[in-house]
Amino acid sequence: MYLLNLTFLQFAALFGSISALALALYLLDRSRRRQVVSTLRFWAAAGQPAAAARRRRIQQPWSLILQLAGMALLLLAIAQLHFGKPGPAARDHVLILDASAWMNARSGKGTLMDIARLRARQYIRALPARDRIMLVRADGLATPATPFEPDRAKLDAAILASHPGAMALNLDRALAFARHIQAQTGGRAGEIAFIGAGRTVESASPAPVPPNLRVILVPDAIQNCGLRRVGMRRSAADPDTWEIYVSAHNYGSEARNVTLTLDFAAAAGSGRLPVGSRTITLPPGADAEAGFRYHSASAGTVGVELLPHDPFPADDRAELEAPAQPVLPVTVYSGQPELLSPVLASNPRVSAVYRKPSEYRPDDRGLVVLDRFIPPVRPTADSLWIDPPASGSPIPVRQSIESARIVRWDGSHPIGAGLRTKDLRLERASIFEAAPDDAVIAAADAGPVIVARGGTPKIVVFGFHPSLSPMRYELATPLLFAGVERWAAPEVLRRWEIIGGGVGVVKLVVDEDYSPTGVKVAAADGTALPFTLRGRVLHFFSGAPGAVRVTAGDREYVYSLTLPEPWEARWQPPAGAARGIPRFVPSLDPSSDPWPLLAALGAAILTAEWILFGRGKRWDGRFRLFLRPGQAKPHARPVEVRR
Amino acid sequence: MPAPLLDREFLERLERLTLHWQKSFPGLVGGHNASRFAGAGQEFLDHRNFHHGDDLRAVNWRAYLRLEKLFMKMFQVEPRVPVRLLLDSSSSMLTHGGAKFDYARRLAGALSYVGLVRLDSVEIHAFHNRLGQRICSSGGRSRFPAVMDGLSAIEPGGRTDCVAVVREFIGGYSQRGLVIIISDFLDDNGCERALQYLADYGHELMLLQLWAEEDRVPPWTGELDLRDVETGADLKLNADESSRERYTRAFDEYCAALQALAVRSGGRYAGVPVSQPLENLIFGELIKVRGIA
Repeated sequence: MYLLNLTFLQFAALFGSISALALALYLLDRSRRRQVVSTLRFWAAAGQPAAAARRRRIQQPWSLILQLAGMALLLLAIAQLHFGKPGPAARDHVLILDASAWMNARSGKGTLMDIARLRARQYIRALPARDRIMLVRADGLATPATPFEPDRAKLDAAILASHPGAMALNLDRALAFARHIQAQTGGRAGEIAFIGAGRTVESASPAPVPPNLRVILVPDAIQNCGLRRVGMRRSAADPDTWEIYVSAHNYGSEARNVTLTLDFAAAAGSGRLPVGSRTITLPPGADAEAGFRYHSASAGTVGVELLPHDPFPADDRAELEAPAQPVLPVTVYSGQPELLSPVLASNPRVSAVYRKPSEYRPDDRGLVVLDRFIPPVRPTADSLWIDPPASGSPIPVRQSIESARIVRWDGSHPIGAGLRTKDLRLERASIFEAAPDDAVIAAADAGPVIVARGGTPKIVVFGFHPSLSPMRYELATPLLFAGVERWAAPEVLRRWEIIGGGVGVVKLVVDEDYSPTGVKVAAADGTALPFTLRGRVLHFFSGAPGAVRVTAGDREYVYSLTLPEPWEARWQPPAGAARGIPRFVPSLDPSSDPWPLLAALGAAILTAEWILFGRGKRWDGRFRLFLRPGQAKPHARPVEVRR
Repeated sequence: MPAPLLDREFLERLERLTLHWQKSFPGLVGGHNASRFAGAGQEFLDHRNFHHGDDLRAVNWRAYLRLEKLFMKMFQVEPRVPVRLLLDSSSSMLTHGGAKFDYARRLAGALSYVGLVRLDSVEIHAFHNRLGQRICSSGGRSRFPAVMDGLSAIEPGGRTDCVAVVREFIGGYSQRGLVIIISDFLDDNGCERALQYLADYGHELMLLQLWAEEDRVPPWTGELDLRDVETGADLKLNADESSRERYTRAFDEYCAALQALAVRSGGRYAGVPVSQPLENLIFGELIKVRGIA
């Protein structure tokens, strides 16, 4: 038996003070009652001697005993008397519930998460009632679901509301968070309990295991094979063909033969068509790859599926969004179209139309090539002026020189990227008067011979005709035209790479020719995602399934993060960690808390004392029949006298 | 508007009752109380000449035989004997919530109604240490509302002095008759002597003693500081069960003394607690003691 709110010494001091006060009041003038009566003549006849002014002894011992007993019971109720031995002081526990993607695997009739929820509820039931628990949902991140909470009902609700995420478990991070939060609360630290399967990502520097760790592992002897990565890009030889790369992993302990199927659903909504399948053998704990080729220029969704399904179906299928292959329209105004058709036809993503200068229209779209032709009205689209006459050149011609030698190319500009031909001698070339904002792509000794002007529309001016100069025999000619096309319409000629993978941290090695300022990482809804870029290695994090677009230079990477993040290792609990559901000192059941009973009993005793001995004695007539059955009835019949 | 003291159903039940006179008194009494004194009057006053239409029974036939003339004998007319109710309006009637005074007013009203229905004359006198308000009524039930108005207008209060009241009553009303006293008879000097004086004077007494439960069986024990509501006297005492029993015994002895006095003088007595319904008193106890027939 012990008191929860007071020590026995405090209780004795309080009760002694109250008792002394009650006794003093009792002995002074506590119960003298003033009463107005009709007459005093019968009281005088009753012959009772008058009372002393102050009592010297207790004349109503039962009244005093009842008062003291009632007050003692009330004081015990306030002090929260409990029977048995006092339990330990309340502690703060952290319950780490594994909410990684792997917990979605089926085991028996439910999932691993169902088992983990059950274990978590058993754990909080086993803890003493006064202990507080913080529930932390752990996957790649450690997310507290509740504060340190003593209410088991709230904890139950939070546990039931926990569902597996899409990331792998980062247990080191969760344990570090738990230790930190226990240290921050300032209370008495309890246990750090981990409940889950323990399939974690590899950690380069494992965190030290806390000494108060308790491990409640969820058994997961599950054979699983799953997709780890899917890559898709346009073929360099045939832009209408997708080259698809699939990597699968066997997480189990037995080799399995699986079938990888490929299907495609056009954006127009004509249904999903199977387009290929391949059977591969997955050794235990190893990867296997397979490649597919699929010819389609239209946009759609490519689905890759691993069959047969297993108890963890989340990594059995991946879907990638395949964008349409865009084409750059080029309109050539030339009297000698055969001079330009070879370089324009070399790029399959360019659709060239050749017209005579007399057929000129200023509202052409895409790129307009003006071959030694000055239109009456400048085109509204981007334009390439080839050896324009000096009278109408958009960039003023300073002079026309003979036997000009190109001495410098601007490799940093997209048009001049990769061009290094320096021994090229031109029979004739126009030297332009470039403005300060103009980019000089190529320059001879006398001045710029190729100038690019940005803005809207973009303008590129050649001071010579590449096909009428010795340059026509150089590789630089198609590269120069390709550079012009890519500079004029980078979004059309951008190279696509589509990767299907798992959520979490994504690592990407970008091309060498990227501009750090031009790197963008955006989610499917267009919101920018934070990323880090160290050299050519780009890292970004996505905690939820979805698409992420990374733009770097002329290349765009589309990540379809529909697969769960793969786990890489199975965590082995340390030998010193406690295991299983604990058995603490029997917790205090609030329903057995006797203070309400004590309070009611104390109040009842005080009320009874008041009725029997106090001011409430005026009701005595009603109760006296029960209390003193032998006494005369108050409602007596009229007095009768026999005549 | 205060609630009526007596409701209509109760009054209708009262109409078949009659105030019962134990004695006969000279004079006219109403209702069904027969007097042993015959004629409209008993005292001879004078003679007068006979006129047509006079009652032949009043002719002095002896004078006619002697004088051969018709002479009428004239008698002194006897006054009507009223029923007198003395209603205690002292402060003691107000203790313990004033139930005694309310009960007394209702009882007085009911008895007045019984008398009025039987064509009695009813006089109600409130009293404490002297006679107070007087309410006179006769002539049937139609006069009853005035009686109730008068009862409602009585202002209670004051100290009881039965001797002074009886002395004033006898001095003011020499005609003997039925006197109904509704009171708690709680006079520190006692009421026995005054009531005996009243009975000896020739009145027929009907004593209706009322008490509250606390008057007879005090519910208090322990240390008490008692104050007399009329005199203001204080009495400090320790009350226990034995003292309470002695108190009740003394009270009962006083009631018995009053009853003995009433019976001894040819009157009637009824003592009732005010917790008893008025209907039970009138149709039970008063009929039993022949106060009402």
